[in-house]
Amino acid sequence: MLENLYLDGKVVVITGGGTGLGLEMVRALTRSGANLAIAGRRPGPIEAACDEVIAAGQDAIAVPTDVSKSSDADALVDAAMAHFGRVDVLINNAAMVADNVLKPIWEITDDDWESAMSVNLSGAFYCARAAAKPMADAGKGKIINVASGFGLRGGRDIYMYCSSKGGVIQLTRVLSFSLARYGVTANSIVPGFIPTIDPGAEINRTLPQSGDFLPTGKLGKPEDLGPIAVFLASDASDYMTGEMFILDGAGLAAGITPTGHAPVAGLEP
Amino acid sequence: MALPSRNHLPAEFSLAGQTAIVASAGGDESPFLAAALAEAGAAVFAVARRDATAEAIADAVTAVSGRETGCHVGRWDTPAGSAAVLESFAATHARVDILVNDTRSFFAKPAAGITLAEWDELHARNVRATFMLSQAVGQRMLDQQYGRIVNVISNLAERAVINCSAYSATQAAVLSLTRSLAVEWGRSEIRVNAVGSGWSIAEDIPLETQREELLVRYTPMRRKGHPRDLAAMLVYLCSPHCDYPSGQPVYIDGGLNAHP
Repeated sequence: MLENLYLDGKVVVITGGGTGLGLEMVRALTRSGANLAIAGRRPGPIEAACDEVIAAGQDAIAVPTDVSKSSDADALVDAAMAHFGRVDVLINNAAMVADNVLKPIWEITDDDWESAMSVNLSGAFYCARAAAKPMADAGKGKIINVASGFGLRGGRDIYMYCSSKGGVIQLTRVLSFSLARYGVTANSIVPGFIPTIDPGAEINRTLPQSGDFLPTGKLGKPEDLGPIAVFLASDASDYMTGEMFILDGAGLAAGITPTGHAPVAGLEP
Repeated sequence: MALPSRNHLPAEFSLAGQTAIVASAGGDESPFLAAALAEAGAAVFAVARRDATAEAIADAVTAVSGRETGCHVGRWDTPAGSAAVLESFAATHARVDILVNDTRSFFAKPAAGITLAEWDELHARNVRATFMLSQAVGQRMLDQQYGRIVNVISNLAERAVINCSAYSATQAAVLSLTRSLAVEWGRSEIRVNAVGSGWSIAEDIPLETQREELLVRYTPMRRKGHPRDLAAMLVYLCSPHCDYPSGQPVYIDGGLNAHP
């Protein structure tokens, strides 16, 4: 029953694949036998990731891409089709987290709002639009959107990230319902806090530095995304669509009290 | 079931050296779920109310792995019943890493006519049994500071269907237990998640035949689920690599949960 977890040359297009969560998904997918088109804004990290995949014995191309431009998204899927002849899986992972820098709503500019929404939400839409047609023509495909726990809950002053990630979860549901008839599934991966950026970066001032606030007591690691990326890219997930896979140290299951709050009360007579 | 091609199982899905207790209400998915755990390398101990259920699980595990399955037959929805399960288990096994509660008895009847006896029996089998065994096995997991618990539920935990009031309430209750135990036992390296199915059947029926049914045409994927659709996710949720996910349901239901 488990042999269909092996990816056996499936072609995976992944955005934001050169760093952070994306890079760890690239590594796990490679180990499971995928070939990859790795997209990112900067050529350096995606070329390095590409070299790593090839060194591991799989095929890969690096495609510099700004997903907020629909022409770039189209070109990404075209490049994958030209090189591999097919696209089996799209992982929309590229995102801008810069608006985690605290800023009251009255200081957020139109450009702040639009630039974040255009990468996080429009970018996922553009790439899904570009990949959906070849997938539908093939009668099979998988779209995996990386959302966030902030797509389900509010974060103080985190307007764009929360709104765009909530949009990504809804985009996933619409894709799943619309494309099921073509054999194409769509699911979201919903990570909680997983440190991926330079510990000295300014936005880290607003992000948790330890997992003390989580029920499980520890933050996630980028490698935690590997198994679920492999599962959702594989035939083992063929009947799962329109769903979220949440990995967050039980943060979303809790959250209505401070961590560790433990009332005790006997039954009334 | 064919023998597995183990060469291709990604390491993150290996359960080699792990021991699982699989409690079944008697649903025809249980042998497949137990076989998936065995295929991933786990030893399986079956718990069931009826001999036939335990035998079906044991046969499926042996067919896929060649291993024997320990089993306990009896109710486990009381402290004494759950203690008896652990006593049988301890006779042959030293440690339990995994508990799968596949304890769903289905029941459908107009709400106006449901009797107290029916309500109580359904909740005893589906909810109280899940809690009692989770409590008994959970104590061992707390002692050893490690465990994986997976509750198999229905997407009726989230949505309503006519005549399914009593059953749906049990599924929502088990989902709630999933969250609570995940939060309460999280610091002890115990992870508690749920895997949810939609309309499913443990037989392979041709798509054309299935699609004569309106319910199937309504399902976005236009087929019923099969227990093997849950197999790989169940294995992952039971594995040591499933460390960050906890307290959540994963529905594998052909898209029904996103259906408007």
